[in-house]
Amino acid sequence: MNRTLLLGAAAALALGGWTAAAQAADPIKIGVDTPLSGTYTPIGQQVRWGLELAAKEINAAGGIAGRQVELVFEDSEANPSVAVQKAEKLYQVDNVDFLTGTVNSGATLAVGQVADRNKKLLATSVSFADSITGAKCSPNVFRVNAKAGQQSAALAVWLKQQKADAKVFYLGPDYEMGRSTVAAFKEAAEGVGAKTAGEVFAPLDTKDYTQYFGQIRQARPDVIYTSVAGNDTVRLFTQMQDFGLLDNVQVVGASGTVTSQNIKAIGSAANGYVTGVGYSPLIDTPANKTFVKAFNAAYKTDPDLYGADSYGLLFAYKKAVEAAGSTDTDAVRKALEGLSWDTPQGKKTIRAGDHQAVTDMYVVQVKDGKFVVADSIEGDKAIGPDACTRF
Amino acid sequence: MPERPARSFPGRPVADRLSLSMRASHLLVVLLVVAGLALAALGSALGDTFYLRLATEALIYAGLALSVDILLGYTGLLSLGQALYFGIGAYVSALTLMAVPSFWLALLAASGATLVAALIGGVIANRVRGVYFALITFGLAQVVAKVVYNTRELGASDGMIGVPVVEVPLGPFHVSTGSAPGFLLVALALLVLLYAVSAYLLDTPFGRVLIALKANERRVAFLGYSTWRARMAAYVLAALVAGLSGALYPMLRGFVSPELLYFQVSGNAVITVVVGGVGTLVGPIYGAILLTVLKSVIGSWTEHQLIVIGVLFMASVLFLPQGLIGLLRPRLARWLGRAEPPPAKAAEAEARP
Repeated sequence: MNRTLLLGAAAALALGGWTAAAQAADPIKIGVDTPLSGTYTPIGQQVRWGLELAAKEINAAGGIAGRQVELVFEDSEANPSVAVQKAEKLYQVDNVDFLTGTVNSGATLAVGQVADRNKKLLATSVSFADSITGAKCSPNVFRVNAKAGQQSAALAVWLKQQKADAKVFYLGPDYEMGRSTVAAFKEAAEGVGAKTAGEVFAPLDTKDYTQYFGQIRQARPDVIYTSVAGNDTVRLFTQMQDFGLLDNVQVVGASGTVTSQNIKAIGSAANGYVTGVGYSPLIDTPANKTFVKAFNAAYKTDPDLYGADSYGLLFAYKKAVEAAGSTDTDAVRKALEGLSWDTPQGKKTIRAGDHQAVTDMYVVQVKDGKFVVADSIEGDKAIGPDACTRF
Repeated sequence: MPERPARSFPGRPVADRLSLSMRASHLLVVLLVVAGLALAALGSALGDTFYLRLATEALIYAGLALSVDILLGYTGLLSLGQALYFGIGAYVSALTLMAVPSFWLALLAASGATLVAALIGGVIANRVRGVYFALITFGLAQVVAKVVYNTRELGASDGMIGVPVVEVPLGPFHVSTGSAPGFLLVALALLVLLYAVSAYLLDTPFGRVLIALKANERRVAFLGYSTWRARMAAYVLAALVAGLSGALYPMLRGFVSPELLYFQVSGNAVITVVVGGVGTLVGPIYGAILLTVLKSVIGSWTEHQLIVIGVLFMASVLFLPQGLIGLLRPRLARWLGRAEPPPAKAAEAEARP
């Protein structure tokens, strides 16, 4: 009788010890709700690579607070309706406390609302609509990449350094995003003293941009700003080159205008083009060199800003969870607010007022078909005022 | 009392094949209701919300598929833009809920807006037939989607978030749209209502005119029916079904985005109808449930879920001309028909001494 009791007690103890150990060793699951199919697959791929590389490094170094990191991927198809459904699955079925990977701003906003209603956290490392950490900010949503406002502010600061009262001509794609990027840069440029020479909006997929060239020539701009993207950029730039419009004019643009995907097709017409970005693989710091080398070794390609920002995000989460001592939403939120941490592109700080990361901005220029870092702008100069009033 | 025409079975109307098939459909809807109730009970017992809400979404898309079936399966009109009315219903419902958080007002506003839009769209689309009708409906939806995509007041490309969770007053009961099992039942009730109204209308002489339209539109005119009026009525009815289903979407997910108006949604609805069973009303409902669940489950382990859906679609077209429900419904109809002898035999039996 005594013996059985003893045995039972021993078993209970062992069992108790075992479950406690299991709990400590339970992996921390992080949901990744990103487009793995559809238009934004290349972006989702970078997000995935960045996160997987960071998870591998964190796990090799002992995990987050001694727990391994496990990434749970879901395909958002870049469609908010799908992203929301997958986010609910990740939060409720997979029980993740932290979600990332949303790409298009509509999906980030909608999934942010799901995070709110589930009392969990979301951080985006891609979406750049200002509203996410502005008018539509949420206590449960963070952004670690540079928003559109930071990109245009950095570019405007650079423009002022180059030529104080430049005459700028704006050429945007004729849809809401195109118009809002042009409006945002115009505001930033006029804020630093640039003059507006004129503006024109061309429909998406315009085949022939020469119809606008007379208007541009007549305005005699020093600078042409454009926010067209993809193959539109290829046509616009090559046609401008053919018509001699690139001579004596500085072309600047949004970060998505000239990318590694279309730079080869644009060819020499891209030379001299300047944009403001939050990351470039060419940033000359030891941390970035190590990161680019590891990324290349693993995936045989350079990281872009999405890969780098996603990579950096996991280290912010690690630092916050370790400071908070748990993955509890309120504790981690508090730890993330005001958090400073090291990323490949330098130190980032999450502003507590709107959950936007303050990050050094870079001005990159195309030289001989390749991007080079032309200048860097301190994070504080490009961040702009806190427009979030919800918390 | 006027003399009534003699019936083969006094006091008991003889069901033709169409009515028998419809009765089989009704039976399958009853089965759906039972399954829905069981799922809601099971889900709330297990404390699940994700699967209940996924099922609710499936029922919402089932309403859209039902609307496509009214056009494709009965009137023979292929609409490639039914997401237009689904989206209008969703947007108007979202806008109403954000201004006045009232469930019934949102449904009312959504159906009102859909009605107006359907009258305009119908006048345009019903001028043509066949492939041109398909193209015009496609074009209309694309135009409106682009307008919404570029209208800042409607949230433009980002859509609108912040649609509140509201209470649904149902007589003595109250159900919150945020309660997963509760809202599943609300969606189920609305879908069954939409099904019942559609099935009833399609069983009236009006419905028979629609079926005749599908068979041969020219002859219908010679029989003295206005084909335009019938087509228009079918179009508006289908649009209302889509609009009311769409009105539930922002209540479930709390947001609307222009993607709801895209061809992807319209195209999916057509695929759903073909996979489920064209012209069966209940087939598209089961098809929507199958496809929504399949997409979610397959989508979790491979990003190539569209290939699976595509293969399923092709297999349905090639091997199941009546869709998945075609495997079941004829048997069910035969079983129902055995309860009463078919009209030909009945007449024969009566003719014998």
